[in-house]
Amino acid sequence: MITAQARDSFERIFRKAAQARLPIEPGDTCEIAPVGAGDATRTDAMKGAQVVVLTISSIVFRLLLILHFDENDATRGYYLKDDVERPFQEVFLEICNLCCGAMNQELLRYFPDLGMSTPYVLSAHCLPYLRELNPDFVSAYSVTLNGSMQLAATICVCADAPVDFVADTSAMEETSGELELF
Amino acid sequence: MSKILVVDDSSTVRDEVAGFLKKNGLDADTAVDGKDGLAKLKASPGIKLVISDVNMPNMDGLTMVEKIRGELANKTVNVIMLTTESSPAMKERGKAAGVKGWIVKPFKGDAVLETFRKLAS
Amino acid sequence: MIQQYVLATVAGSAVTALLALAAHKLQSARLIARLRAEAQASADTLKAEQSDRAEAIREPEQAAQHLEALAAQLRDELAQQSASADELRAALKAATDDKDQWAGQAQRIAGEAARLKHLGATFERWHEQMISLMTQNHDMHAKNQELSSIVRHVVIVSLNASIEAARAGPAGRGFAVVASEVRALAARSEELSKSYRDSLHRNDLTITSTFQDIQAGGKMIAASLASVESLANRFSSTLH
Repeated sequence: MITAQARDSFERIFRKAAQARLPIEPGDTCEIAPVGAGDATRTDAMKGAQVVVLTISSIVFRLLLILHFDENDATRGYYLKDDVERPFQEVFLEICNLCCGAMNQELLRYFPDLGMSTPYVLSAHCLPYLRELNPDFVSAYSVTLNGSMQLAATICVCADAPVDFVADTSAMEETSGELELF
Repeated sequence: MSKILVVDDSSTVRDEVAGFLKKNGLDADTAVDGKDGLAKLKASPGIKLVISDVNMPNMDGLTMVEKIRGELANKTVNVIMLTTESSPAMKERGKAAGVKGWIVKPFKGDAVLETFRKLAS
Repeated sequence: MIQQYVLATVAGSAVTALLALAAHKLQSARLIARLRAEAQASADTLKAEQSDRAEAIREPEQAAQHLEALAAQLRDELAQQSASADELRAALKAATDDKDQWAGQAQRIAGEAARLKHLGATFERWHEQMISLMTQNHDMHAKNQELSSIVRHVVIVSLNASIEAARAGPAGRGFAVVASEVRALAARSEELSKSYRDSLHRNDLTITSTFQDIQAGGKMIAASLASVESLANRFSSTLH
């Protein structure tokens, strides 16, 4: 139900959003490598004891963005820098929110009616049950920031009707931060 | 008496925006969601500018603005949305509710500081 | 001498008088001729004017005929235009009635959209119910953890009991049986607790994804409704 070019488009949109919003410093590298389809729901294959789940809903499909992380010293150190007093989960949730927001903005160009949820933290043990949502498309990736910071991500799309679109991810638009007065 | 209210469920954003404003001489109160924002606005009539997220638990930002103009009958306070949302339909809803402006996150303080100052005076 | 002068004078005057008379007569004749010529000219002019006038009278007559023909034409055209105007008036009335109808419908659409916006309240209710479900699930996780740790503790206790029973030798055999039963029970509890934990994790994902779908879907619908409402309002105001 989801055409090959739509799947490819979803993937490219994810990659663009992840590269733009996951690194804490704009200059940090962000390497995204696909993880085998069968491994997508295996918790040992995917780094991270916890996951942040976000949903983008449209009339014909819903997309789940799942970001896997471990709340350990490495992760805290990367995202909190020196300010280790700040609540890590709030900071990380906001980063995930921005990443999903970027995907939302990109998808809006092809699906005019979209809504986005707030993020929620769950244990990674719930991932094997992803298949119970009857997804039409699941794709998993390992994400490495700045060479050493390890995260993982899963994209899961459930469609109620055929989904076909081609995303143009070439534009380097930085329209964020500007105030649009009404 | 603060003239600005920052509403966001993320403490990271609240700290970032309110901190930036304070650094530039503008005092700001904060609220954690729409319900809290309404309560704080009701309690502080001196607030001239509300900067709010859309996606929040308990009550989202746009519902909060609709209630500010409706139940609170406050037509004068300026509201700017600061959110990841950018859909035209959502901006329409904002405009209809009396929102003055829309900023797509991430927040870049320098670009909007002067406008904030003007709207809060 | 004076007689000569008087005679000369009289003669002179008589001559003068005669000359004057002659001149006068000449002048009169000339005057008369001139007058006669003038009269003739006037008569001619009058004659010419008369014929001109006759012609001139013919022109308006012709013009009047022409005008009458034109008037007849105009009357016909007016009759036609009148008929068209009536048609247009009828059409305009129909369009105005339609417009009023459309304006009414546009207002109704705007009204419906405004009313449907209150669906937002329904979403808020679902939202609260979902949060309560998620909280319950969270509580169940915690309770299950507690159960798990109790079960583990029971396993340890039963192991210790088995050890004590073995130490007690034959006297402890009965106790050993109980200890092993307890351990078996604990093991089954642990299995159950694990399976319960798995169910909770499955619920976590289903509830969270449903919750988020409702949240995101609700926002999408509210935004679309607001856009419909503003379009309907704009349409309604252009019709007024």
